[in-house]
Amino acid sequence: MTRLDLTHISWTQTLLRSRWPQFLLRAITLAGFVFTIFAGLFGSVVGSHNFAIIFVWIAWWTALKLFFIPFGGRSWCSICPIPMPGEWLQNGGILQPCGKGIGLGKRWPKAMRGSWLQAGGFLMVGLFGAVTLTSPLVTAIVLMVILLLALILSLVFERRSFCNYLCPIGGFTGLYAQVGPVEVRVKDADICAAHDEKVCYDACPWGLYPLALKSSANCGLCMECLRVCPTDNIAVNLRPWGSDLGSKTKHNLDEAFLGLVMLASALVDSAIFLGPWGQLKSAAYAIGSLPWLLFAGVFIVVALGILPGLYIAAVWASMRLGAIKTTLRQSLAQFSQLLVPLGMMAWIAFTISFAFAKFSYVLPVISDPLGWGWNLIGMSGTSWVGQSTSFSLLLQVVLLAVGLFWASRVARRITESVKQALPLIAFSIIFSLSMLWLLIG
Amino acid sequence: MAPQTCRRPDKSMESKALNNATKRLWKRWGWIFLFAVSLLLILFTPLPIPSNSPADRNIRIEASMFQFSPGELKVNQGDRVTIELVSTDVVHGFSLDGYNFELKADPGQTATGTFIADKSGVFRFRCSVACGNLHPFMIGKLKVGPNLLLLRSIALSLLAVIAALVSLRMFPDQQSRYIK
Amino acid sequence: MKKEYLARSLVILFILVAVTIPFAGQWLSGRNQPAAIELHARMPENGGWSPDTIQAEVSQPIHLHITSDDVVHGFAIGKSDQPALEIIPGEFIETTLIFDKPGKYTFYCNRWCGPNHWRMRGTIEVSGTGTPLALDPQPLFLKLGIDIDAPQPAKTIPSKTTSAERGAQFAGLLPAYAKNRDTYLSTSPENLWLRLRAEATLSNLSDNDLWDAVTWIWLQQTTMDALANGQKLFANNCAACHGETGKGDGVMVRGLPVWNPGLHSSGDSPHLSTGEGFVSPPDFTDPKNMLGASPALLEGKIIRGGMGTGMPYWGPIFTAKQIEDIVSYIYTFVWGFSNQE
Repeated sequence: MTRLDLTHISWTQTLLRSRWPQFLLRAITLAGFVFTIFAGLFGSVVGSHNFAIIFVWIAWWTALKLFFIPFGGRSWCSICPIPMPGEWLQNGGILQPCGKGIGLGKRWPKAMRGSWLQAGGFLMVGLFGAVTLTSPLVTAIVLMVILLLALILSLVFERRSFCNYLCPIGGFTGLYAQVGPVEVRVKDADICAAHDEKVCYDACPWGLYPLALKSSANCGLCMECLRVCPTDNIAVNLRPWGSDLGSKTKHNLDEAFLGLVMLASALVDSAIFLGPWGQLKSAAYAIGSLPWLLFAGVFIVVALGILPGLYIAAVWASMRLGAIKTTLRQSLAQFSQLLVPLGMMAWIAFTISFAFAKFSYVLPVISDPLGWGWNLIGMSGTSWVGQSTSFSLLLQVVLLAVGLFWASRVARRITESVKQALPLIAFSIIFSLSMLWLLIG
Repeated sequence: MAPQTCRRPDKSMESKALNNATKRLWKRWGWIFLFAVSLLLILFTPLPIPSNSPADRNIRIEASMFQFSPGELKVNQGDRVTIELVSTDVVHGFSLDGYNFELKADPGQTATGTFIADKSGVFRFRCSVACGNLHPFMIGKLKVGPNLLLLRSIALSLLAVIAALVSLRMFPDQQSRYIK
Repeated sequence: MKKEYLARSLVILFILVAVTIPFAGQWLSGRNQPAAIELHARMPENGGWSPDTIQAEVSQPIHLHITSDDVVHGFAIGKSDQPALEIIPGEFIETTLIFDKPGKYTFYCNRWCGPNHWRMRGTIEVSGTGTPLALDPQPLFLKLGIDIDAPQPAKTIPSKTTSAERGAQFAGLLPAYAKNRDTYLSTSPENLWLRLRAEATLSNLSDNDLWDAVTWIWLQQTTMDALANGQKLFANNCAACHGETGKGDGVMVRGLPVWNPGLHSSGDSPHLSTGEGFVSPPDFTDPKNMLGASPALLEGKIIRGGMGTGMPYWGPIFTAKQIEDIVSYIYTFVWGFSNQE
């Protein structure tokens, strides 16, 4: 497939190779992160007037799903402030590693590898979402806990263990980065094979060896390999969307779990935040109460029971219809690719319906970030009741249709025949129509 | 294509190949045309809307933190809809997407307003008076007539599936192991 | 190494800026303004007013920065005609108050914010010299020794809706005391009717004629403006429990046991937080509930509240005139002289 190598363009190469642009972005996001925690702790308790709520859950969360992932894969991870303090300590330097870092550097336990914990974390975010999403204080505490957790883990474990195995957003971003249009790969495999000093592997905070890179799921686009490669053999490619999917790529079972949790979360979030069911909202909000336990039960049944059940049934039916015999486990893993385009487009559609209506909160909050009655840019008090327009509804329909189109293509590509693809397509149709009904029904 | 270099292809074969290529091209364009037409049909076919004579509808909605009850309303296009908004705990509002219609009610003071449901479709209504943490998500639905957008979207989704399968057959790519 | 130190300084600088913004902004925005008291409004379940006591000096302006932390509230000063302020969550509203008499003033929320809304009250203590705030005159119900806790069901009631208009034709026949304001204030419609029924001069009037006459007397004691004002006050403050049509079916009292005149007594003090013991209010449209009560008694119930029912006390909130208007208005639920007719 066609690729555009950014290291062949002199100005992009300079931007990627130099540590300064990335460092500055990281420093700014870190300061922003600290400010967000401050705003959450000391600012207005009214969410719509607090920077922490609006910037984390409306501006950033929207930007991640509409901009960073679809146009840059894990590009957010490359400027994410959360692992920074720990990584700087590990490296013994802020701008670049200088070899005198601190930290125990233990290996992450084998049993806890993969994206299982990330998927579980994302499920948790969903279970407590109604409160986190609306309470500045809770948002600030969650951010602080994540920052501290990342710091402590980076002192105990090697490299970016937190990002790789724990961070729920890392799971989300990694899963969908597989269809993102950016990848880091080696230019010429023979040069690497002949080179017996793996400086790139040593430098990679993610513990990856560029020569072995087949998928962008775990590559955080930090560009360290590019900077240390003595032979300039690392390419940063712009590629067609969906490049990591296909019959020849390798996918693991944890990906199926992660993909299903994401689909379930998209459904449940749409039902809570966009649906007309007030009792569901109250139940999701009253953490610890009986209705909440009921809600949590339903959520878990959907995420761990119904959707996986349908998926397993579809995969099983598909296996029966095919000639090549694999185990159910292998098929569950291999066919999980289907969940990637399906989930990504569903999340984008959900975000459109949500962000269009709520974006009016952003400017007033820049004008008065802490909700203390300031008016820095004269925009305080301009928020209006957000509406979803017919344009936004149409856009959601188109996005979901694109998701289904894409998922069907993937389903056909990874199976032997149309017949074998049909159960997988049926699963995609059921999910897409449910989502459609929740968003525009 | 290697043999071409060593011997001249005879004329009949050449025209056959040309013929095949033209056929394939026509077939592709045929499919694309078919999908374009289906797409337009799905999006713009006028669907029969059951015509009811416009009726007066009185709907009493109770607003509490954070729900409207009933949360889903159904009226016919052209109806004169009168909303009675009753707040049962704190001050709430009622703002209807797509219509310029807003109400605001204190507990003990029912607010009433009337509008003509002249636009069909599904519209969300939202609380327009900040009423606590979940206020931004206090949402209800008004259905005016049948939800044609949903019907068209379902048809569009099915078309998307067929298009996906056909597109792989018509434009195979090197990623497809099994497709010949 | 120089670059490394530059990077480190930049990180520290950016974080310092981030941390300084709140303080700098606070300083900048508060620089040119007089010291203000920040007053937070919360639902009573979340703590009500914070602070709930404000100190002030006579003739010294106090500046208030008021905001709400949860829902829409109102800010008003009891027993005053100052327009109330609407307090929107997350937004600040400024107001300046000056008191010219020392004493204790009540500020309160005037927008219903849940069943405990009426508890959302605070005190402004104004100290200094000057004529102190006049004490309220003793309410009539205390002067007359009316037991407002005792049920006052009417045994005699009109058999059809009364009409002040019809009653007007008998005005000339009525004895002087019947048109006297003191009689009106201290006598229930039922008792006045019984007293008039006993008058020999009125013996040729039918029972319903006499009820029309009593209705006319009640209308004479008020004005259309006062009734309109009473209606507004009732809608704002009373209807959430007593119902918009006075039926006692307001949104706040749903699910409470029905008011039973035989059962309630001031001895049963409702549980403040659980609401246990609260009853739903009586139906004002039922003549049995209304015609046995004199204006003085109704005034007493509004001022003091309680009665073992969960009725709030409005003495510190309303002026005597406002209470009078409300009393006049609530009789219209049984009288045929509501200004809507």
